[in-house]
Amino acid sequence: HTHLYLFIYLFCVGKSCLLLQFTDKRFQPVHDLTIGVEFGARMITIDGKQIKLQIWDTAGQESFRSITRSYYRGAAGALLVYDITRRDTFNHLTTWLEDARQHSNSNMVIMLIGNKSDLESRREVKKEEGEAFAREHGLIFMETSAKTASNVEEAFINTAKEIYEKIQEGVFDINNEANGIKIGPQHAATNATHAGNQGGQQAGGGCC
Amino acid sequence: MMAISPPLLFMDRNLLARKQSARLDKHSDLGWKLFGKAPLRENAQKDSKRIQKEYEDKAGRPSKPPSPKQNVRKNLDFEPLSTTALILEDRPANLPAKPAEEAQKHRQQYEEMVVQAKKRELKEAQRRKKQLEERCRVEESIGNAVLTWNNEILPNWETMWCSRKVRDLWWQGIPPSVRGKVWSLAIGNELNITHELFDICLARAKERWRSLSTGGSEVENEDAGFSAADREASLELIKLDISRTFPNLCIFQQGGPYHDMLHSILGAYTCYRPDVGYVQGMSFIAAVLILNLDTADAFIAFSNLLNKPCQMAFFRVDHGLMLTYFAAFEVFFEENLPKLFAHFKKNNLTPDIYLIDWIFTLYSKSLPLDLACRIWDVFCRDGEEFLFRTALGILKLFEDILTKMDFIHMAQFLTRLPEDLPAEELFASIATIQMQSRNKKWAQVLTALQKDSREMEKGSPSLRH
Repeated sequence: HTHLYLFIYLFCVGKSCLLLQFTDKRFQPVHDLTIGVEFGARMITIDGKQIKLQIWDTAGQESFRSITRSYYRGAAGALLVYDITRRDTFNHLTTWLEDARQHSNSNMVIMLIGNKSDLESRREVKKEEGEAFAREHGLIFMETSAKTASNVEEAFINTAKEIYEKIQEGVFDINNEANGIKIGPQHAATNATHAGNQGGQQAGGGCC
Repeated sequence: MMAISPPLLFMDRNLLARKQSARLDKHSDLGWKLFGKAPLRENAQKDSKRIQKEYEDKAGRPSKPPSPKQNVRKNLDFEPLSTTALILEDRPANLPAKPAEEAQKHRQQYEEMVVQAKKRELKEAQRRKKQLEERCRVEESIGNAVLTWNNEILPNWETMWCSRKVRDLWWQGIPPSVRGKVWSLAIGNELNITHELFDICLARAKERWRSLSTGGSEVENEDAGFSAADREASLELIKLDISRTFPNLCIFQQGGPYHDMLHSILGAYTCYRPDVGYVQGMSFIAAVLILNLDTADAFIAFSNLLNKPCQMAFFRVDHGLMLTYFAAFEVFFEENLPKLFAHFKKNNLTPDIYLIDWIFTLYSKSLPLDLACRIWDVFCRDGEEFLFRTALGILKLFEDILTKMDFIHMAQFLTRLPEDLPAEELFASIATIQMQSRNKKWAQVLTALQKDSREMEKGSPSLRH
């Protein structure tokens, strides 16, 4: 049995809340500040196959772009998140997207997320605008609410599905880890423990 | 001023302990009343009555239940709390009497239980006594240290600060009451910032906030290249980040006692250094300084601290230079912890993943605050190299756990360190880290790497390799 590991990266604003909702199924109104990068992981099933999502939650401030830029390289998918109640976060998408396109592998799946869909009364960016932007740039689009959990599962799982389909089509070279896809043994953590104890007697076989 | 300092923490714990024991009093109070109300039955077993009597005699108590207060106080010494009451409940009258052997056996078991309970409670009392003594000892040594710092070291700072004795005392942790002063002196004021300059910067920041909130743009052409929109975004971000700075302390948030101070320092800094501006992570550094210094002095320390080479490299997000720092770190990592280093390499775990957060916030976000302050103490003494030494100390402390983990678990562990990280163990671990590699010190290694990277300039720098 092997696992497919997909590396998905989150960029822009309000993404830590999305991640927490997806991995822990809870909402924290005041979330920790992300400096550098934080990590989430969750197992999902696509086509009856178990897939492990490894999610990199990167710093949101523009100043950190030169750091986050280097993280695109190992990503199979990315979620670009803006806040529908703040026009400025929507306006910044172009620069983030340019960065993403320039520094990632060309097959990276990008999903555009308009977050905070629960705050309809404070909406500054229309849903149609998000859809138009996505259409224009060839992205998948979805509005979510980290607070009510609306569409959060779908956002991550649809991104993973898209990547999975591309793998099936043979678009991705799955033997190149730089594409953000890795095939590894199940329960990698426990395997490592055993390998450490037994001097790698049996461990050599499965890994690639 | 000191919001979180070891003596205060102790006090908190004391209070808590007192509260708990008060609750305990109440409980046993209730318990005794319960038992007291149930009258001993007429036809109760003689044996059990006798046992009860025996124990009451031994304890020198009358057969009626004593006042709970008195009881608890006595028990603090050696009388078990939990078992004496057992005997008061008699065998129900409707059941046949116990055979003699069984009664004998039960008596024996009861006695054993009492002995065990006594042992346990004696041990507990001893532990508590030891804890109290330890606390007194710590408080006394802090008291002594305060005297030494105030009377001997601070008045003779220039001549004494680098002496062996002071350095040793420094490593133990600076007492909270003098911490701010020592930090200020150690950080220095190379930039010659005065209180007046702070006032000027603050006034400009306030003007800017006003003009932005009214939508005006009189200050527009003042510093070209920083558009009003950028500035507005950064002001919004400061506001948002203040609410996310030590949220558990509830003192920096809107309406909290230190909110305005934190806002002022960050705002004034963006006016003082528009070329650097506000960068995430700064709010944590400013907050820790505010807990130890007045606003203007905190601003002076803040600006000078950020002006140090390592901090400038990070807060200007000079990617190339940051990579050089990481490379230098890896030299000492391999030297000190070769096995773990190999494990990290194998799993593609690069130092940026954990170091960025640690260095940007000087550990104040990732370690408990009182422990972070102790790291700051020695950082003020030893400079940037101590930040990287601390990182190695943390890695060494958790080496056994980390070597059993895969990438994602290590990454998650290191970006979210255990909350109960023990201070003494961490410092003991840091103490074993040698900041010397093939006879080269930190600064030498760093300079050499900087020279290399300058020569290799124009290559595409990347964090992940």
